[in-house]
Amino acid sequence: MEKEEQVVHARLAAGQGKGMESGYTFCDGCNQTPFCGIRFEKKGSDITRVEPWPDFPASPPCSKAYATLQRLYHPNRLKYPMKRTRPKGSTDPGYVRISWNEAYDMITSHLNRIKETYGPHAVFFYVGDPKEPRAAVQRLAATFGSVNYGCESSTACRRAAMLAELLTYGFPTMGNLPTEETKVTLIWGTNPAYSGQPFMCHAQLLEAKERGVKFIVVDPRLTPTAQTLAHIHLQPRPATTAALAAGIMHVIFKEDLHDKKFCRDWIHGIDELKDYVREFPPEKVEKITWVPADKIIEAARLYATNGPGGMKTGAQGTTHDSNATNNHRAILLIPAICGYLDVPGGVLKPTNPLVEMAGPWADGPPAFSMRNKMNQMKEHRLDIEAFPVWAEKMWEVQTNYLVEWIKEGKIKGLLGWGLNTMIWPQSHEYQQAIGGLEFAMAVDYFYRPWTHDYVDLVLPAAMNYERKAPFAFFERQIFGRSPIAPLGECKEDWKIALDIGVRLGYKDLFFDGDVEAACNEILGLWKITYDDLRKNQERGIGIPAKGPELFKKHETGDIRPDKKPGFMTPSGKIEAVSTTLKEYGYPALPEYKEPMQTTTEYPLILISGSRIPFITHSKWREDAPWLLELQREPLLTINPKDAVERKIQESDEIILKTAWGQMQVKAKPTIMVPRGVVGIMHGWAKANVNELIPRQFDPISGFPVFKEVVCQVSKI
Amino acid sequence: MAKYGMVVDLNRCTGCMTCVIACKEENLTRPGVSWNKVLEVENESLERIIYFRYACMHCDDPPCEKACPNGAIQKRKDGIVLVDKDKCRGAHTCIAACPYGVISINPDKEYFPGQDVPLQARAESNRVHPTGKASMCTLCAHRIDEGKEPACVVACPSQAMTFVDLDDPQNLMLNKIPKPKALLASEGTNPKVRYIISNDLFKDVERKISKEPDAHP
Repeated sequence: MEKEEQVVHARLAAGQGKGMESGYTFCDGCNQTPFCGIRFEKKGSDITRVEPWPDFPASPPCSKAYATLQRLYHPNRLKYPMKRTRPKGSTDPGYVRISWNEAYDMITSHLNRIKETYGPHAVFFYVGDPKEPRAAVQRLAATFGSVNYGCESSTACRRAAMLAELLTYGFPTMGNLPTEETKVTLIWGTNPAYSGQPFMCHAQLLEAKERGVKFIVVDPRLTPTAQTLAHIHLQPRPATTAALAAGIMHVIFKEDLHDKKFCRDWIHGIDELKDYVREFPPEKVEKITWVPADKIIEAARLYATNGPGGMKTGAQGTTHDSNATNNHRAILLIPAICGYLDVPGGVLKPTNPLVEMAGPWADGPPAFSMRNKMNQMKEHRLDIEAFPVWAEKMWEVQTNYLVEWIKEGKIKGLLGWGLNTMIWPQSHEYQQAIGGLEFAMAVDYFYRPWTHDYVDLVLPAAMNYERKAPFAFFERQIFGRSPIAPLGECKEDWKIALDIGVRLGYKDLFFDGDVEAACNEILGLWKITYDDLRKNQERGIGIPAKGPELFKKHETGDIRPDKKPGFMTPSGKIEAVSTTLKEYGYPALPEYKEPMQTTTEYPLILISGSRIPFITHSKWREDAPWLLELQREPLLTINPKDAVERKIQESDEIILKTAWGQMQVKAKPTIMVPRGVVGIMHGWAKANVNELIPRQFDPISGFPVFKEVVCQVSKI
Repeated sequence: MAKYGMVVDLNRCTGCMTCVIACKEENLTRPGVSWNKVLEVENESLERIIYFRYACMHCDDPPCEKACPNGAIQKRKDGIVLVDKDKCRGAHTCIAACPYGVISINPDKEYFPGQDVPLQARAESNRVHPTGKASMCTLCAHRIDEGKEPACVVACPSQAMTFVDLDDPQNLMLNKIPKPKALLASEGTNPKVRYIISNDLFKDVERKISKEPDAHP
C-alpha cells in the first residue's frame, strides 16, 4: 500500500469499533408491532449507529428504521409532561411543564370524578400509533371498568379485512408467502414492496418469482409490486373489488376449473355464490371495473389451473370504501373455490400458533389484556347498535362515531396513546369533539398541534431505543430488547399505563409500575423471563411446537377447539353465505355495491391512504429531517393524460376538490395512477386529505371511504 | 488486487429510498447532500417506472481525479475513488467533470443547528464533512476496510444491490446475461457500478441523467 493511501485508510478507520457496545431494539416506524429488528452501537449512553439485526425474522428494515436514530435526538422531542393553562378553544393552549406527580394526580382525579358522575364507560381509552401499548392500555381500561377501548386498527386499518376473514374463513389471515409448493400467488390491494406483513418480504417474493411462481397483482396503481412481480396486473376502478372477484369466479365456475369436492363439502352457500357470480360475465365486469374482459379470463385461468395457489392481501387497501367488508369477502372466496385453503402452498391457518396469544401480538394475550372482563361488559359498548356484527367479532370498539358519542354525552374523558385526529374523515369534527371533553390526555413523541391543541395534558413517550415493552414474537420465537435510559423525563408507554393503574389503587395488578414485571407476567405463560431474553438477545427464545405443521386440518378436526371437522364459522364451513351477516340483516353473499358515481363536476376518483415508502401516516415529516428531505409536501399523483387535459405539468399548484372540501397541493403527473384516478398521501397537517372525505362508512365494519370519493383537479 | 464496485438490479429496485437513508445514517452527510440518489424514470409506452439508484461510479478512469487542481481525488488500489478532505480546497472542478452529477459541495448547514446532538458530537472522522469541500460516496471504504459491505448494499430490502469485485472472473452477477451495463459508457470513464436493465429503459435513464444529473433527491 502506498503511503498516501495508508493515510486515507487510517483516517477512514479512525474511531471505528473503539469503546463500542451493541444493543437491540425494534423499529416502530410502520406502526406494526413488532416490526423490523435494529442492532445499534453505543458509546456510553449515546447511540451512534444502527444497522439490521442479523438474526431477527423481520430484517433488513427500511429507511424509516435508520431515521429512528435521527428522531431519537431531535431537539423538538417532548421531554416533560405538559398541561394546558388556557381554556380549550384558545389559539394558544399555553402548555407549561409540570411534574409527573402533578400529571398523574390530574389523570386520576379526572378519571375518578368521571366514573363517579357518569360511570366508568364514559372514559374512552385509545391506542393509535405505535400499537405497542395496546396490551397495557386494555388492561387499564378493563380494570378501571370501561369497555370502551378502541385503536387505529378499529378505526381504519386492519380490522375490517380481519372481520371479513373471520366471517368467511373463521380465522384471520393476510395470506402467506409462496412456499416451494406454491405455483401461483394472488396479491390483491397491497404493495409489499413498500409495506405490509410479513414485514419487508419483497425480496422473498422476488425469489419466488425467480423459482417460477406466477403472480397476479390486483391494484389500480402501477406499484413497484406490480412492476417487479406481476405476470398479470389487473387495474380495477377503485372500490369495485366484489365485481372483479365475481368476474374471476364466474370464469372459474363456467370453465369448470373449481375444486368441486371442496366446494361441495366445505363451502356454505356454494350454490347461491354460483348463482350470484353467473350475473358477472367478463364483458359486464369490464364495464364495471375497467379491467379488460380477456385479462379477467386470463387471470382466472392462470390462478385456477396452477394449483396450489396462494394469496396475499393487505391490511386495508381493499376496505376503504362503503362496501368494505363484502368487497374483501369476495376476494377470499377465490382461493376457496379453487380448493387452495389449508393445503401446502395455499392459504393457511397456522397449526401451531402461540395459543396463549390468541390474536395479533400487538393486543397482548387475552389473559393479560383482560379480554374476559371486556366481554362481560359488552352491553356497554358504544358501537353495539351501529355495528352489531363488528361488536360481536371484535373486542375493540369501532371509533368512527366518536363525534356523536361525545355530542350525546356518552364520553366525557379520553386517554390516548399515539392519538391522531387526522386518522378520521372530516378530522375537524373529531378535533372539536375531543376539545369539548371534560378531560383528554395524549401520550406522544412530539407536540402535534392537530391533536394536542385539543387535549388537556400531553405526556412524553420514550422511543424505541428507550423501551423494554413490549418484547417481540414471530410465530414461536420471542425476542427482548436492550434499551438505553430515556432522554429527559420520557417514560415508555407501558410505564405510563402501569403507573396510572397503580395510582388508581391497583398496585398489584399493575406490578407496582414495573414494566419488566409486567412483561414477565406474560412471558410466564411459556415459563421464561425477560432475563432469559437478555441472555438470548440475538437469536431469541423458541417455544417448541407440539407437532409439525399440519394440512387439511378441516378434515381431521385440528382447527376447531371442539375437535370436530370443519372451520371456526357458525356453519363449520367456509362461508360464501355468511350466517352472521344474514342473522343481522346484511347482504349475506359478498355482493357488489356500486360505489360513488363520477359526475361532470367530479370526474375523477380519489385514492388516499396508499403508502409512500418513507412515510407512515402523519409521522416522519419534521420527526426526521433525513426523510423530510425526500419529500417536503404532499404530491397529487395524476395520470399524464388527465394532467395534459387540465394543462397541468410537474410541480404545478393545483386545487383538489370534492363535494366535502378542497385543498391546494402540487401535482405529480405519473403513470403510477391510471386514467380517471388520482392519489395522494394522507397525514399532511397543512393539506389533510381526510378533510375532503365525507363521514360515510361501510355499514358492516364502519370503515371510512378513503378510496372511493369522486373529485376534480384543476390548475390554479 | 481487488477492483471494487457494485451491480444494481433495477428489476428488483422499488424506489423505497432505504439506500439513501442508510447512507445518510452511516455517513452523516450534510443537509441536502445525498451520496445515494434515486431517479424516477417513466416510460409511458412500455408502462414502466424505473427507480434508478446511482452514486459515485468509482470509475476506473475517473474524470474527477484528473480535473482536481489540488490532487485531492485519488483512486485507491482497490479501485475506490475518494476525496481527501484535507487536500480539497473546494475548487468545484470535479463537479463539472463528473458526467453523473454525483459530487456535491458540503453546505454550511446542519440538521439541528446549535443543538448538542450526541450522534453528531461523537461522530468518527469519516462521518465529519467540512463545509465547502467536495463530498461523494466512498463506497463505504471504512466498512470495506473492516471486511463489511457498503451500508446501502446491506440495507436494501429488495436485495437489488450486490457488492462485487470486478476482477473476479467467477462473479455470478457480473456474468449475468445480458451483461450488467455501464452508465454513459461513451464517456470513457469505465464506471465500476453496473446495472441490470433492459436497453430501452436504460436509454431513458441515460437521457434523463445527461439532462438533469442530480434531479433527485
